[in-house]
Amino acid sequence: MDSFTNTLGVNQQSKKQAWMDKIRQEAAVEQARALIDKVSDNCFEKCVPKPGSSLTSGETTCINQCMEKYMSAWNVVSRKYIERIQAKDI
Amino acid sequence: MDSSSSNTDISLTDLSQNDKRELQQFVSNEAQKAKIQSTVHYLTDMCWKRCITSKISSGQMDSYERPCMENCVDRYIDSQMAVLKHLEQLRGQF
Repeated sequence: MDSFTNTLGVNQQSKKQAWMDKIRQEAAVEQARALIDKVSDNCFEKCVPKPGSSLTSGETTCINQCMEKYMSAWNVVSRKYIERIQAKDI
Repeated sequence: MDSSSSNTDISLTDLSQNDKRELQQFVSNEAQKAKIQSTVHYLTDMCWKRCITSKISSGQMDSYERPCMENCVDRYIDSQMAVLKHLEQLRGQF
């Protein structure tokens, strides 16, 4: 945040840059938040079907693997979807 | 630079017309990107529920799951197009 504030008012160029950085940063935060929501939902569903008094080591392992798997699934879907919308047939 | 300004009130008013235009373009590109990402979130969620049906035993997708995810995206878009096409045909009838 410091480097962000410091760029303000230096000149027009950096002011525009500051806006872009801020917007980019907010988009990244929003994107991360959405991913964490989906991963939590789907991996809880998958790994903790019967919640006990604490998370077992098996459940923790499952959640870790599930996260990695979900993120790679996200990348597969992203690549495929972008490929389809760029093909202009929709 | 006024020392009282904080990072929450960067003013847009003293930007040049060119900068404003460039920012507008930037924002609309970012909005487009965000829209695509939100569709990807939706599709991943839906296709995950259909394709990742067995117990999680590794962090990788297996040889069934990966193509299933890809087919799921393709068929979803096909279905969407089929709906639009049929709707177009129905328009004259009702």
